[in-house]
Amino acid sequence: MSCEKILPTRRAVLAGLGALAVPLPAGAAIGPHLRPIPATGERVPAIGMGTWITFNVGDDAGLRAARTEVLQAFFDLGGQVVDSSPMYGSAQAVIGHALARVSAPERLFSATKVWTPLAMLGDGQMADARDLWGIPRFDLMQVHNLLNWDGHLPTILAEKAAGRVRYVGVTTSHGRRHDELEQVMARQPLDAVQLTYNVVDRQAEARLLPLAAERGLMVVINRPFKRGALFDSYARHPLPSWAAEIGCANWAQVFLKFIISHPAVTVAIPATSRVDHMAENMGALHGPLPDQALRVRMARDIAAL
Amino acid sequence: MIPYDADAFFALFAAYNTAIWPAQPAAYALGLLVLVAMFRRFVQRDRLAAAALVVMWAFNAVAYHWTYFATINFLAPVFAAAFAAQALLLAWSGVGRGRLHFAWRGDPAGWIGLTLMLFALVGYPAWTWYAGHRWPDLPMFGIAPGPTTIFTLGALLAGRATWPLFVIPLLWCAVGGSAAWLLDVPQDLSLPAAAAVTLIAIAVRRH
Repeated sequence: MSCEKILPTRRAVLAGLGALAVPLPAGAAIGPHLRPIPATGERVPAIGMGTWITFNVGDDAGLRAARTEVLQAFFDLGGQVVDSSPMYGSAQAVIGHALARVSAPERLFSATKVWTPLAMLGDGQMADARDLWGIPRFDLMQVHNLLNWDGHLPTILAEKAAGRVRYVGVTTSHGRRHDELEQVMARQPLDAVQLTYNVVDRQAEARLLPLAAERGLMVVINRPFKRGALFDSYARHPLPSWAAEIGCANWAQVFLKFIISHPAVTVAIPATSRVDHMAENMGALHGPLPDQALRVRMARDIAAL
Repeated sequence: MIPYDADAFFALFAAYNTAIWPAQPAAYALGLLVLVAMFRRFVQRDRLAAAALVVMWAFNAVAYHWTYFATINFLAPVFAAAFAAQALLLAWSGVGRGRLHFAWRGDPAGWIGLTLMLFALVGYPAWTWYAGHRWPDLPMFGIAPGPTTIFTLGALLAGRATWPLFVIPLLWCAVGGSAAWLLDVPQDLSLPAAAAVTLIAIAVRRH
């Protein structure tokens, strides 16, 4: 496909990063930033990978090869958590295709979802997902967008008891249904929660993130770039002066470091179809993170742009 | 909320076009049959022209939406059902009851309809070509929902048809037209435009 001709390959990007020999900012040796999953203490890198749109490329061989390069770059740069859903069309099949071809696939921390209104279909959907990914169990199984969560949670908990799931979670996106999510978080035996949080969508700071910390939940953050809208709004501006203090070379790292510096957040899952963007995202795993005072300033300054 | 990007969309069309060949020239033959039926009398011309539209809508339902589009879009089964419903409506009204007439009327609405039909046959594929796409990643007449919908609206306008037959094609203009903005597919701007001129033509004809 045309994208392969235009976009740089993983090898080219990784070689380019080395060839640049740019002096690292102060504190860049810090990291990679790992976060514990409260339920077990297992640590995962704070930057993961989403697959909404980007890995839904059907059967096209060229596009699948390009996404395999993206996944390989993700692993090479220290990533582990890959999140998907049956809602994402062919994304799970493409992940499976890529996992069979990358080196070090054992790095994978697999996260997917159950997405069906009928509880009786949940088992089959989880089995299909294992087949598509080509793995015997999932690290994290979530109820997608709270769809029939009370019907699916018993099924997923049974899968956990059977050893086919390690952690159980629920998700929301777009900042919707936070009241219902709060009730589920407070009352159900969850290990994880996924929700939307970024430098301009900060409703989760008020109740959900403190509740997740109180309940000892892994927190997965979707839409860290607001589906690209943050770049549309702010990428034309020069990086603020404080970006250098936290080792950020680009806006992606600014947006991601704002998220993963929240003490309740475990992992942010930006999605990309490009190896060079993956390299930018994974740069946020290293270098200093903003403290609370700087986080306040970041949000204020970005809102003022 | 479209769960794929333009690369995946056109890659899907490449695979689809390759797999269904030679359905594309067959679809053009069906389109020409409908055009000929407008201007020449022949035995069962209305029923045959209606049957041509039935085949196109049924093919889009099964081959495109159900078999291919469903691999990247979770809503595709719903679209397949809608296209199958339109095929059944056309079959019931046009083939079964003989209530669909294609004879050329020559009024302003008829001219608008003829223009839409010609645009679907030639203009839409040409626009796609101009936008930079080449075989096989071309949404083609008769086997892709966009040009099939525009052609059908034109045929219904040019002849005589009851309003229920317009509903699903008009709805698809809204659904398919969203790709123009969300996927940067400029030729799909023709879908909402076709819906607008169809509604205007219907209003003009009623007055």
